[in-house]
Amino acid sequence: WLAVVVRDEEGRRRFHGAFTGGFSAGFYNTAGSKEGWTPQTFTSSRKSRAEHKKQSIYNFLDEEDIKDMGGNALETSQQYDTFGFTAAEHARKQASKEQNERPSAIPGPVPDELVVPATTSIGVKLLMKMGWHQGRTIKDAHADSLYESRREARKAFLALSGVSNDEDQDQIASQKSRVDENVAESFNKISASGNTPVYVLHPKEDLHGLGFDPFKHAPEFKDRKRSHKSVNRDRNRSDVSVRGSLLISNSGQYAPGFGIGALEELGVEDEDIYASGFNYEQTEVDIEPSKTSGDSKFKLEDKKRGFFLSFKIASNSEYKLERFHPPEIPADFDGRHKFSSPIQTADKFSDLAPPEVPPPEDTTLRLLIEGCAAMVARCGKHIEDFYKEKSKASPQFLFLDGGDGCSYYTRKLWEHQQKFIDRQRPGAVKSKPSSDKLTAENRGTILGEKPLDRSSKSSSSFVSAKEAVQLQSNLGDTFVKPISLDGVPESKKPFRNEPAKQARFEQFLKEKYQGGLRIASLAPTITMSDADRARERLDFEAAADAIEKGKEYKAIDPLSILGLPGLNEQRFVSSTQLESSAVLQDERPMYPQREEFEWRPSPILCKRFDIVDPFMGKPMPLRRPISKMDTLMFMTESTKKINEDVRGSSTIPQNAAVSGTEETEAQETANNPDIVASRMQRPVDLYKAIFSDDSDDDMDEPLNNQQVDPVKTSEGANMALNRLVAEDFLESLGKELGLEVPPEKPAQPPNVLFRSEILPTADASVSRNGQTSTFREIKENEGSLGLMEAANGNGDDPSSNVEKLDFKYEHSADIGRSHSLHRQIRNGSPESDTSIERHRSRKRRSHHRNRSPTPDSGSSDERRSSKKRKSHSRHRAGRSRTPDGDLSSDSQRNKRKRREKRSHQTRMSDSDSSDHEYKEKYTSSSRRSSDKDRSRKHSKHRSW
Amino acid sequence: SLSLSPKKKGGSPTPEPSARGRTKEMSSAAQQLPRTESRTLSGHEGAVLAVRFNHDGKYCLSCGKDRTVRLWNPHTGAHVKTYKSHGREVRDVNASSDNAKLVSCGGDKQIFYWDVASGKVIRKFRGHNSEVNSVKFNEHNTVVLSAGYDRSVRAFDCRSQSSDPIQTIDTFQDSVMSVNVTNTEIIAGSVDGTVRTFDIRMGRETVDNLGHPVNCISLSNDRNCLLANCLDSTVRLLDKNSGEMLQEYKGHICKSFKMDCCLTNDDAFVIGGSEDGFVFFWELVDAPIVATFRAHSSVVLFPCHQRHLSPNKDLHVDVICRWDHSCLDLKIEIADVCYPY
Repeated sequence: WLAVVVRDEEGRRRFHGAFTGGFSAGFYNTAGSKEGWTPQTFTSSRKSRAEHKKQSIYNFLDEEDIKDMGGNALETSQQYDTFGFTAAEHARKQASKEQNERPSAIPGPVPDELVVPATTSIGVKLLMKMGWHQGRTIKDAHADSLYESRREARKAFLALSGVSNDEDQDQIASQKSRVDENVAESFNKISASGNTPVYVLHPKEDLHGLGFDPFKHAPEFKDRKRSHKSVNRDRNRSDVSVRGSLLISNSGQYAPGFGIGALEELGVEDEDIYASGFNYEQTEVDIEPSKTSGDSKFKLEDKKRGFFLSFKIASNSEYKLERFHPPEIPADFDGRHKFSSPIQTADKFSDLAPPEVPPPEDTTLRLLIEGCAAMVARCGKHIEDFYKEKSKASPQFLFLDGGDGCSYYTRKLWEHQQKFIDRQRPGAVKSKPSSDKLTAENRGTILGEKPLDRSSKSSSSFVSAKEAVQLQSNLGDTFVKPISLDGVPESKKPFRNEPAKQARFEQFLKEKYQGGLRIASLAPTITMSDADRARERLDFEAAADAIEKGKEYKAIDPLSILGLPGLNEQRFVSSTQLESSAVLQDERPMYPQREEFEWRPSPILCKRFDIVDPFMGKPMPLRRPISKMDTLMFMTESTKKINEDVRGSSTIPQNAAVSGTEETEAQETANNPDIVASRMQRPVDLYKAIFSDDSDDDMDEPLNNQQVDPVKTSEGANMALNRLVAEDFLESLGKELGLEVPPEKPAQPPNVLFRSEILPTADASVSRNGQTSTFREIKENEGSLGLMEAANGNGDDPSSNVEKLDFKYEHSADIGRSHSLHRQIRNGSPESDTSIERHRSRKRRSHHRNRSPTPDSGSSDERRSSKKRKSHSRHRAGRSRTPDGDLSSDSQRNKRKRREKRSHQTRMSDSDSSDHEYKEKYTSSSRRSSDKDRSRKHSKHRSW
Repeated sequence: SLSLSPKKKGGSPTPEPSARGRTKEMSSAAQQLPRTESRTLSGHEGAVLAVRFNHDGKYCLSCGKDRTVRLWNPHTGAHVKTYKSHGREVRDVNASSDNAKLVSCGGDKQIFYWDVASGKVIRKFRGHNSEVNSVKFNEHNTVVLSAGYDRSVRAFDCRSQSSDPIQTIDTFQDSVMSVNVTNTEIIAGSVDGTVRTFDIRMGRETVDNLGHPVNCISLSNDRNCLLANCLDSTVRLLDKNSGEMLQEYKGHICKSFKMDCCLTNDDAFVIGGSEDGFVFFWELVDAPIVATFRAHSSVVLFPCHQRHLSPNKDLHVDVICRWDHSCLDLKIEIADVCYPY
């Protein structure tokens, strides 16, 4: 670099600004001088994006260069090549060139369509998709589609004709003779929808730019070219003569079998100048004027000939709109519908009610007449005819033919018919879906009828004389008080209007007050919806209660005793009314109600109020999602324990006496809020709690009497669960309906369930339902498990993902450390190099330990003792399992033994390491798989 | 400038001689209850929604739909100061025990923390999602508690610069109408029919379900009883510790307005307003109506009763503010009977 100092005329150095070149801008600081160029000033495009300049080559050329370029700098532009003709044409040319060069199986030129690459522009493609073809106007037309089909057909025909060119000639000719005039007409129409041919005097037939003349400097070639064209034309004409009129518009260049449409103009591009088989003649013909005329002539000829010989338009289209005459209205139509059946007949019968006739003296005859009348009324007139036919001989049936007792018969028949109609009508009503709640009896009571006895149903059938007698008595009975249905007193039949319901109610009563085997569910109950069933059950409960009460007051009207005036009417009362009345009745005396919950003031609030924080700065337990199923989740002991810690520490300000351990624990938790948080989020899976039964208990001797049978437990839990769900549902339903819920527990407002701050959330909500003895047992078992798990945080849970596990592992180690000095030392000891094998054995052990449920009564003392028990059991189990083929080294075994001798506190690190293994093993395990895995292991272990 | 407590002379109102004479004659305490209007404080340009005495009873604060908080000397009738900054109606106002700060709340979802003397807003506490119904200082004036329509009670720290609540209590099921503070407790009444007592020392929340929307909570002077004005036209007296209902007071109309209720200084009488413009006095124990008088032409929203502790005499003042739909006569009327006790 030469340190040349450039100075201007006055001897100054030009300075161009610190960032734009300084003292050496441009070539030897020539920037801005006469010799140098001026740099473009930088303009940020940020503010003036639109003004961003495009560089063009002219920016870099001086006049000389531009002159060299010839003055007219041309640029290619694809802008106006709307249909991509240029590109397509180019490709086509290229293809034909190539085709000429290579030998082809097909003699002659390969049809262009075959070789043209798909270079149509997107516009064309779209148009094609919409049914457009080149050379057509873009215009919708029914005619277009017609044209289209014609063209297709034509093409096919041409192909045919091309193949069997010679022998088909005469056939074609014959077809030609059958040209219809219609075709020509429609063809005219069609051609109108095609591109309007524009005849230019001197049509531009090349692809050069407008005004561009390639033969500008060589006029001799121009002539040559022209002559070549004329040759083509001539050849076309000769083709026409060769092939006849059929293919007249086709260029001869095309291979037989492929044609273009008749109306498609022959473009220059369609011609194959390289086609072989013809010699070029150089004839000078001025074609220009004749060409156009020739073209038009061809067209005319085409039209005249009408060459779609075999495809003609049907003279009458199938799509013709068919018209019908309006229906003729009969002269006697009055626009009103007449109902033919029962009503009419009823009317008819009522109209001509035959006079009351005394029955004939002969009883047998009377019975016969009655039975016959009943039968006829039921089955119809033809029965009567049948009887007549049959009993011509017998004198007994003379009444049918107007003999003795005929009038009595007609009278009876009328009565029966009347009755039959009456019976039919409510049946018809009943069949309607909307009124299915109304039974016939119901309706009867509404209409004020006296119910008939059941047996009267058979009355109308003609069975025997004796029954017929009974029938009569029954008829008389219609106006007599019916026999009480069963021995059941009236008061026990609150649903006597609905027999089905009454039956169910009786069943319900039986279930309630009597023991014994019975079918699980009544068939009709199944058809009811859940809500209906629940409501009905509530009804039943109330009714049963009322009956119990009502036993003392037999004399009084049962319904009024029942105190359920709306038992049946209830449906017709608006629900809000009911609810409000229920509320008023039931809940008012209960106010004011008092409930207490845990509440956590924020530490800063306590500080501002000058009050010691009752929770010592421990965070709130995590809020649980509010859902009903959630209350069925078990809380782990861990959460419980924390709450206890909390409680313990909250008593600190008041009770001076606090145990040291508690305090340390409290402090510990206070110091490690993270631990607490990690402990919080572990509700034990319901599934796990129930189904991971502890069948390896058989390894342990039962520890004491309190040991719960695991099978029982899980069964009990299942049952409890089901009942819980069911009862919960029922209860909520009852509340919704505003009915009294069978009082098994004190009513509580629903919000109790979902209080996050409440200490024993799960406990409270569970015990709320009062069915939870077994349930709670499980929970306590779980709790005792959880005790250990609580200490090591989320230690034993493989379900959490690995990162979490890792994290928790550390924390649990932390806890362990602070929990006892002993452990602290151990944790730091170099036992961390445990082999997988040892891990596994340990894990097995820890599993085992965790699986053994020990009932826990809850107090810390007992729990401690139970811990000891458990650790003992662990030792036992461990010893019993020693010969199970551990491959670990002697030293390790020794170590293990040592460990086993240690107190229960050591289990911390045990399960920690098992954690560790989990972490190793289930690096990417989903909860499910890990669970499965775990159970598998579990079973394996069991089999040992 | 101006501070509430000592400077402004407490201009003890010259009590009516007749009234004084009467009180001397009358032995029964019931007859000493105020029955006449002694003064009218006019100045509000809209309905008055709340009136509060300051701690020692020398001044009173009122606020209302004209979006202002006003400071009065009820004994002279002087209008001391107007605090304007609220964008919506002001629903409640409270003065700190050292008379240096005010806190007010209302429809604009914020709680304004005022400097009394300068009349400037020191801070605005945000956090409520809708209108704020009630505010209170705690005993040490360090925390402001507010009850809002958003079903929450929020506590704001006056000492920090933050405008966010330090605690939010959102166990309510419905709008919280009124909040009260004792040394260790926060008591709030809600439209969901509950009175909830949050004991900070014990970390307990006690829910007393009254079954009817609770408009207003006030505490007895011995802090053992709660007075809850419910929307079923009943004032209920509860034992704070046991939750028992001690007495119900009826006779007035309270069905749609948020109306206050309070106890007299000696806890002998319960005072409540009525929607027909009357003020009711009930005897505490037996709940008979011992006195009523017509104070306003329309709804009496806010009977307010405060001990006046002047050095040589005890004053007993009732201030009743009213909601007047016609907006023609927007005044605070003071029924003032002075008697020594």
